[in-house]
Amino acid sequence: MKDWEPKIVAFLCNWCSYGAADLAGVSRFQYPPYIRVIRIPCTGRLNPKFVLAAFRHGADGVWISGCHPGDCHYLEGNYYARRRFALLKSLLEYMGIEPERIHFSWVSSAEAGKFVEVVSEVTETVKKVGPLKYFMKKRPEVE
Amino acid sequence: MKEYIPKIREIARKLLEEEKVDAVLGFRKGTIPMMNEPFMARSASDVDLLYWDSNCGINLANYLHKRKEKIAVVAKGCDTRNIVNHIVENQVKRDQLYIIGIPCRGMIDRRQILAMFEGREIEEVDEDAENVIIKGDGLSETIPRVEVLQENCSICIHHNPVIYDEMVDEPVEEPDHVDRYDDIKAIEEMDPEERYQYFRDIFSPCIRCYACRNSCPLCYCPTCFVDESRPQWVGKSIDITDVMTFHFLRAFHCAGRCTDCGSCERACPVGIPMRLLTKKLEKDIRELYGYEAGMSLDERPPLDTYRPDDPEFFIK
Amino acid sequence: MSEVIIPKDELASFVGRLLESYEVFAPVARGGMYLFERISAADEADLSYKNTRLSPKGAFLPQSERMFEFTVAPGKEESGILKEAPKEFRERVLLGLRPCDAQAFKLVDVNFITKEYTDPWWARRREKAILVGLGCNEPRSTCFCTSTGGGPFSEKGLDVLLYDLGESFLARAVTEKGEQIVSFCSGKAPGESLKSKARELEAAARAKIRKSLPVDKLKEKDLLELFNGKFWEKIEFACINCGTCTFVCPTCWCFDIQDEVYKNDGDRLRNWDSCMFPIFTLHGSGHNPRAQKVQRVRQRFMHKLKYYVDKYGNGVACVGCGRCVVSCPVNIDIRRVMEVMTAEVCEREE
Ligand code: SF4
Ligand code: SF4
Ligand code: SF4
Ligand code: SF4
Ligand code: SF4
Ligand code: FES
Repeated sequence: MKDWEPKIVAFLCNWCSYGAADLAGVSRFQYPPYIRVIRIPCTGRLNPKFVLAAFRHGADGVWISGCHPGDCHYLEGNYYARRRFALLKSLLEYMGIEPERIHFSWVSSAEAGKFVEVVSEVTETVKKVGPLKYFMKKRPEVE
Repeated sequence: MKEYIPKIREIARKLLEEEKVDAVLGFRKGTIPMMNEPFMARSASDVDLLYWDSNCGINLANYLHKRKEKIAVVAKGCDTRNIVNHIVENQVKRDQLYIIGIPCRGMIDRRQILAMFEGREIEEVDEDAENVIIKGDGLSETIPRVEVLQENCSICIHHNPVIYDEMVDEPVEEPDHVDRYDDIKAIEEMDPEERYQYFRDIFSPCIRCYACRNSCPLCYCPTCFVDESRPQWVGKSIDITDVMTFHFLRAFHCAGRCTDCGSCERACPVGIPMRLLTKKLEKDIRELYGYEAGMSLDERPPLDTYRPDDPEFFIK
Repeated sequence: MSEVIIPKDELASFVGRLLESYEVFAPVARGGMYLFERISAADEADLSYKNTRLSPKGAFLPQSERMFEFTVAPGKEESGILKEAPKEFRERVLLGLRPCDAQAFKLVDVNFITKEYTDPWWARRREKAILVGLGCNEPRSTCFCTSTGGGPFSEKGLDVLLYDLGESFLARAVTEKGEQIVSFCSGKAPGESLKSKARELEAAARAKIRKSLPVDKLKEKDLLELFNGKFWEKIEFACINCGTCTFVCPTCWCFDIQDEVYKNDGDRLRNWDSCMFPIFTLHGSGHNPRAQKVQRVRQRFMHKLKYYVDKYGNGVACVGCGRCVVSCPVNIDIRRVMEVMTAEVCEREE
C-alpha cells in the first residue's frame, strides 16, 4: 500500500472548471498530480453512467466540477445536474461506495486558486479512504 | 376485490358497444393460482373474459405507451400514477384514455404464499373482503389478507386512483400513519462495507432476465443502457459488479418516476427485492424536493425541473 | 440392474461418500425456493423439494462461462493468441434431479453434439456426469411430462432412479455408470413389499397428472399455416419479452459470446441468451429480422413445438416441467399455446 497512488477521474465543465485548470497551469500553481481530467461540455451532460464507468475501470475517486449556479453557459444545465448529483451521491453511498470517493464543486474559470484547493482536498480524502473496494470490474468469477 | 368484476364488465361492454373506445385493457383469469394475464378486450364478445381479483399486480400502464388507438384501462391506484407519468412524459395522450378506476385493497404476495406452502401443492386461491383462502391437496387454510399483502401494498398510501373517468366503486379509506421507509432507514444506518455486502447478497441470485425492467411501465427506452454496445456500460455475465451496476442504473432511471407499484418485484423469478433501491430514491426525492411521483398532470418530474435554491450542501 | 435401499438417516453419509469422489450437484433451499447447485457439504442437499426454480442445466451449461483467455500485452510470447481457458472437468454426480430434467439433457445433446460439431464444454461435462434422478411422488399441478414422452418416474437419460418410500429411498441403477453409484450405498436389496410400494407410488403419480396435451398433433400441422396463424397476436399481447421463460427452461440452449477486456488481458465468455430479447437477432447492419415482439414470441413456441419436432423427429423440445408456466410474470402458459396451435382450424391472417 506504501506505493499506492490514488486515481481520480475529474469531469470538468469546458466553460469553467476546465478553464480553471488551464489558468492554474499557466499561473504555475502546484497541485497533487493524481487527477485524470475528462472535459465535458456542461455538468448537465454528466450521465450517471460515466461515474459508474469510472469506478468500473478502477478510479478510486470521482470529482465533478462545473459553473456556479446562474453562470452555466447553457443557462440551466447545472441546475438540472445538481438534482441528479444529489441523488447520484446518495444512491452510490447507499450501495456501499464511501462518501470520500465522490465529490462535486462549482469552480469558475477565474478561480484557479479554488481549483487547487479543491484538487488538494479531493486528493486528501480519497487518499485517506484508500483504493476502491467495490464496483470495479475484475475478471468475473465464473466457471 | 372480485366484487368489482360485474361493474368492470358493464362499463367495458358499454364503452365497446357505443364505440367510445377501440379496446379495453384489463386482466383475464390466469391458468394457475394467483396469476392473471393482462388482456385486451377488443369486442363485446371478449368482455366476459375480463376479470379482477387481488392477483392483478402487473402494472397495466406498461401496455399503454406508443399506442395509437383509444383505450379504456382498468387501473388501480398505482397504475393511475404511472398513467400520469406516461401522459406527462408524452407516451400517451389523456384524451386517448378512458380510465376505469379501481379502489384497490392491495395485491396478494404470491411469492410469500408459495414460500409458506413450499412442498405442498396449492390448487386454488380464493379471497373475500378480509381473508385469503388457500386450497390444495389436503390443504385448506384461511389467512387474513393483511398478512399476505405484497410489501409495497402494505405500505401503500394511494390505494385510490389519482385520475379516472369512472370508478367501479366508492373509494377505499387511505391509511394515515404509514412509515414507508423503515427498511431504508435501517440500511442507511449501516456502514459502507456492510451496505455493500448487504446488497451484494441481495443481488447475487439475479439471473439478468430483465423481467424487473420489462414489467416496469417506466422502462420504454428504444435501446436500454444494458443493450448499448458502443460503449458497453455494463457486462452481460452474472459477475456481481455487472449485476449491481445494472440494478444501480435501472433504479436511477426510475428516480422521481417510480410509483412503488411493485410490478418489478412481482415479476422477478428469483424474488429479488429491488424496490430497496427505488424506494431509497423515492425517500430522497420526498425529502429534498417534496415531490411524489405520478400525482399530478401539472407538475414536471423532479429531474426534469429545478429550483434555484435547491439544496447543495454536498457541493464544494 | 441392481436395486438397493438407502434408509433416510443414512442419506447424509451416502452423500458424504459421493463428495469424496465426485463433484456433487443437488437441490438446495435458497430463501423460499430451491436451486440446483454444486454442494460442498452433505447436509446442503435437500431431497424433500418439489422442483427447483431454475432447471439444472447450469451444471452443464453455466449461465456465464469463460471459454477462452487472451492477452495483447506487448512482448509476451502468447500475445494475440486465444487460448482455451484452463478448467477441470471432474466426474460429477447430479443428485436428485427430476426425470423431466434428465430427459431435457438428451434433447439438448442433439444441439451440442452433432455429426459435424461438438461443443467441447457441454460434451466433456456430460461425459463425466452421472445422473441420479428422483421420481416425483407428487407431481405439481403445472407438470405435464406424461404428454411430452416422459413420466414422473421415467428413466430416460438417467443412470440411477430413486424412489422416495417415506422412511427410505429405493435406488435402481439404470446404466453401468449407475451401478457405480449404487455400489456406494451400503444398503440391502429391497424386499418384495418395498418393491411393490415403489410400483404403487409410480402408478399413483402418473394418475395425478391430469393434463393431457395434444402433442402428437403438432407433427401433422402445416408449418406455414402455424407460422402465419392469426392467433399469435392474442398469445403475445401480455408478453413483456423478459426472457424468464427461456432462462428457467431446461431445454433452452441459446447463448451469446462476449469479449471482456481488462487492460491488456481479456476473456471470451459465453452467457445464456434468449430469443425473447430484441438484440438476440440484431444484425451488425442495424437490421433486425425479429424486431417485433410477436415474431419473438412465435419463435419461442415454434422452435419448441414445431421446428424442433420437424428437424429432429424425437418429439417436442419441451419436457413438461412447467417452470415457464410457474415463472412467467404475465401467465403465458405453454399448455394453452399448445392447445391453440393444435386446434382444428387455425385462424389465419387474411
Ligand atoms: S401499490 Fe397500492 S394501489 Fe398499487 S396495487 Fe398495491 S395497494 Fe393497490
Ligand atoms: S420500478 Fe418497480 S415499483 Fe417502480 S414503477 Fe417500475 S415496476 Fe413499479
Ligand atoms: S427480474 Fe429478477 S432475476 Fe430478472 S433481472 Fe430483474 S432482479 Fe434479476
Ligand atoms: S416469461 Fe412470459 S412475459 Fe417473459 S418472455 Fe416469456 S412468455 Fe414473455
Ligand atoms: S418450455 Fe416450459 S414446460 Fe417446457 S421444458 Fe421449458 S420450462 Fe419446462
Ligand atoms: S456550462 Fe458549465 S455547468 Fe453548464
